[in-house]
Amino acid sequence: MSDKLRAFSGQIVAVLIALAMGAVIIMLIDESPIKVFMTLMRGAFGDQAKIAGTLLQTTPILICGIAACIGLRGGMFNVGIEGQLFLGGFAAAWVGFAMPLPAGLHVVVAMAVAVIAGAAWVSIPAFFRVRYGTNEVVSTILSNYVAVLLTSYLTIFLFKRPGGWSETPPILATAYLPELFAFSRLNWGLIIGLVLALFVAWFFRHTAKGYSISMVGSAPKFAEYGGIDVKRQGFLVLLASGAVGGLAGGIETLGVHHRFMEGFAPGFGFDGLIAALLANGSPIGTIVTALFFGALRNGSLLLETDTNASREIITVIQALIILSVSAQVLMKRRGDSTAGERRWKF
Amino acid sequence: MSTTSPAMTAREAGPAETAVELIGVTKRFGAFVANEDVSLSVKRGEIHAIIGENGAGKTTLMNILFGLLQPDEGKIVLNGKETVVTDPATAIDAGLGMVHQHFKLVPSLSVADNVFLGMEIRRNGLIDHRAQVEKTRELSERFGLKVDPEERVSLLSVGIEQRIEILKVLARGARTIILDEPTAVLTPQESRELFQTLRGFVAGGMTVIFISHHLEEVMEVSDTVTVLRHGKHVATQPTAELTKADMVRMMVGRDVSFDRRPRDKTGGKVVLEVKNLWARDDRHLPALRDASFTVRSGEIVGIAGVAGNGQTELAEVLSGLRPASHGSALLKDSDLTTLSTSAIRQTGLAHVPGDRLVRGVDGSASISSNLLMGRQFKAPWSRNGVLDWRAAANQAVEMIKRFDIRARGPEDTVKRLSGGNIQKVVLAREFTNDADFLLVDQPTRGVDIGAQESIHDEIMRQRAAGRAVLVISVQLDELLTLADRILVMFNGRIMGEVDGDSADSERIGMMMAGLQPGNASDEVAS
Repeated sequence: MSDKLRAFSGQIVAVLIALAMGAVIIMLIDESPIKVFMTLMRGAFGDQAKIAGTLLQTTPILICGIAACIGLRGGMFNVGIEGQLFLGGFAAAWVGFAMPLPAGLHVVVAMAVAVIAGAAWVSIPAFFRVRYGTNEVVSTILSNYVAVLLTSYLTIFLFKRPGGWSETPPILATAYLPELFAFSRLNWGLIIGLVLALFVAWFFRHTAKGYSISMVGSAPKFAEYGGIDVKRQGFLVLLASGAVGGLAGGIETLGVHHRFMEGFAPGFGFDGLIAALLANGSPIGTIVTALFFGALRNGSLLLETDTNASREIITVIQALIILSVSAQVLMKRRGDSTAGERRWKF
Repeated sequence: MSTTSPAMTAREAGPAETAVELIGVTKRFGAFVANEDVSLSVKRGEIHAIIGENGAGKTTLMNILFGLLQPDEGKIVLNGKETVVTDPATAIDAGLGMVHQHFKLVPSLSVADNVFLGMEIRRNGLIDHRAQVEKTRELSERFGLKVDPEERVSLLSVGIEQRIEILKVLARGARTIILDEPTAVLTPQESRELFQTLRGFVAGGMTVIFISHHLEEVMEVSDTVTVLRHGKHVATQPTAELTKADMVRMMVGRDVSFDRRPRDKTGGKVVLEVKNLWARDDRHLPALRDASFTVRSGEIVGIAGVAGNGQTELAEVLSGLRPASHGSALLKDSDLTTLSTSAIRQTGLAHVPGDRLVRGVDGSASISSNLLMGRQFKAPWSRNGVLDWRAAANQAVEMIKRFDIRARGPEDTVKRLSGGNIQKVVLAREFTNDADFLLVDQPTRGVDIGAQESIHDEIMRQRAAGRAVLVISVQLDELLTLADRILVMFNGRIMGEVDGDSADSERIGMMMAGLQPGNASDEVAS
């Protein structure tokens, strides 16, 4: 327990250090950090609509974060969530506009196809990882570019809506993920994300399969010795992670945009990964960190109107968080140059 | 002592009687006291053994002496002069040298380059290889440490590597040499050569401090013995006045028996039958060659050999962690070489792995969680795929009691435990599996003497319960204590079999070095 507490307080310190460094950078551009942070707060939680907006941004980060958690717990670093999100988003849109189905069933089928698309997309790097030992970090990163460009190609050349925009036709209303409130596009995706986080946490802690996968992640040689098929588990873990990544894209399409468009969800996959890392691979913790990043994103919309700071400052802060979490580990184990790298393998 | 020895012409001026004196040294790590008020004096020209259980503070004390750690209290007197040893450089200047347990050599460099690493002989700013080779040859001849200075280290055996480590220390002008468990990696014959070298050193007026677990060696080579227990100094006495039993009693604080365990006649049915088994190592070179043997129920078969002669590969093939390249291993009619690790476990294997920290446990997980491995799909620990952590914790509480695991409770993290207690966690899990065949690799490596005894007791209980037990160990005395039959491995082959009741270490030692007993005059086949 005290181990967990120590790790937790470490993460908090890392965030504070990153915010402090962010403040210095804001001062360098002659702006008041206090004003910027207050604006961020106001933009994120200022009124009902803004809170709903924050939660709307939180949803895809949370689900992508859960996807990353699944990978991290099983010892697989899925950096391809962004790509799985794009493919899932496109697949859901395609079912939404091209396959008329009764209400209720339509949205479920669309989400299921998004899940399958995400899993299918990661199965390529997963296969190479298990069969030939190809480092999954590299292959999943590279698969992102292919995914983004592939969905662009499909959108622009095969399924383009008539008119000027690079987007698919709108999905049928039967495939809409219902909204939660009248005043916001906030939808059932958030609930799905929260339930999924709780389920994944329960799965890893309380099921025999979850135990086996966690052991593969934390002590692969021990798991192998104990009779767990490490390669098979690794493959399944990547597949599950990719499936949840695809789900994130499906929810974004069915709940928010109601169509697929080029660059429809920039960076959610990476933000989710960072949220999961900051939460030490804990799905419950990821709820908190995803909310934090969602608030930064939503709050930043006000930055450019109310201050001289660019909204890119939040990207800087995120990067600083990653740096300070890694630096903390390196300082604890000075002289061990690979500690920072292993830090992310849970 | 010969005054004409070239070693004597080195630096000291005053004939201080004691080479090293520690007075009231105390070292704390937080609340833990590693050394408490330890006083010790080592006379010039003696071989001084320091013995004690793991965690008794031997290595801490030597690290303080060598400047790697700073004492919280106490003084160090070197050659009659009080010295504050701030770092190893100070220690080296004062004529100390330390040979660590794990060698720190660069495999791709030559012997001479390794000896002078960090203090290269230069000419015109470049390394003068020829001078280094000459100097190394000179040192090697002067101290009787035979090496070829131009050979690459990667091509040499462990015994030779140790000589290079000693030469490194000598090249830095050491007059007092500290050796941390020097014989752990050597054959009995190599150990004997090392002891001869050490005797040569002290005959030349040098001083040797020697940390060891092996009491027989301590009896054989040392002049004086210091015993540490729980960080405290227990006694310093001339070796001649002590018996092995005295030393054990002082180390452990009670009597411990390492005599051969009494046993009934063996002779159950064959449980494991290994036939013409071959396997390759990680570099794809044959590491296990044509091994054939059987293990019967109610029998302990020991595998003796210097580490790295195919024992690891044998254990890995039998547990499914490494493919066999040829041959079979039948366990109750199933060929283990064709099965996955989980299928082998279901067939009836329990496995205590040699590298327990990597294979045997997840150090970051709790004792409960570690004991769950392999049972996560079985009742009562899980129902319909859902774990019952309370059952897991109950099991852990029971095992902690039964196997005397010293821990704060079932949720204690395994990496916090001492080596012996981690090994007991592994044994607790594996020995309660109801498997017919137990593969026990290095049961007591890094485990202190008190725990060794209880682990041996447990293995004997498994034998009495009718299990077939294969014990692989690099510690010959362990096999002499436990095994009904001992197979000796060398270079991947089983050199021969010795009956446990009539085994003598001399004969086994020759086989460990690759000699067939009977034609002992043969050169070592290497």
